[in-house]
Amino acid sequence: MPQLVTVKVNRPDRRPVRVWVPVLPVALVLLPVVVLVVLAAIVACVVFRIGVARALGAAWRVISALPGARFDIEHCRTAVLVAIR
Amino acid sequence: MTEQRKDILDLLVAGKITAEEAEQLIAALERDQAPTTASHDARPKGKVKYLRVLVDATDLGERSRVNVRVPLQLLRAGVRLAALIPPQALVKANASLSDSGVPIDLTQLKPEQLEALVEHLDEVTVEVDSPDATVRVFCE
Repeated sequence: MPQLVTVKVNRPDRRPVRVWVPVLPVALVLLPVVVLVVLAAIVACVVFRIGVARALGAAWRVISALPGARFDIEHCRTAVLVAIR
Repeated sequence: MTEQRKDILDLLVAGKITAEEAEQLIAALERDQAPTTASHDARPKGKVKYLRVLVDATDLGERSRVNVRVPLQLLRAGVRLAALIPPQALVKANASLSDSGVPIDLTQLKPEQLEALVEHLDEVTVEVDSPDATVRVFCE
């Protein structure tokens, strides 16, 4: 599971923004929202006749596989970096 | 000694080829084997973990750079998630793709095939070089 998400934004004529997001504490703070999202996903699975366990398992696999992903995009003097650890 | 080299020597012993011909055949065999060994050595040892996409482009004098690293595990997980798409949604997606001029039948795309595709991605290297842009896609 991801532990830390790093976001860096460099824009011309502005101060660079660097944000480190610890995933677990943020997820705990947002737990009520997470529960609502999971419930909505379960309802959607039932409506569209998709196996709930399979869908939740696949979603968990996607979340678990996120560490190591890195997106670094630079255009002119603007740069955005998103790294998941 | 390789099987092919042994065959050549057997032919020489049987008198079917001359010593000179045998030498030429062995030399040709060594030439064929050398690039194969080199290409295997060039690949990184061990299992690859990430798909890298590197783009370096210049548009009207402005430089753009993209450096993306995606874990292969994420691609595999995405394939499993895509396998959950209901058939009726695939039919609609097919119709939309067809309308856009991309006649691909997504219902024929099996998750096992996609998983095999991801499994063999480590053997793929794409390099595009043009005056304005360089694109490299590879696994590491």
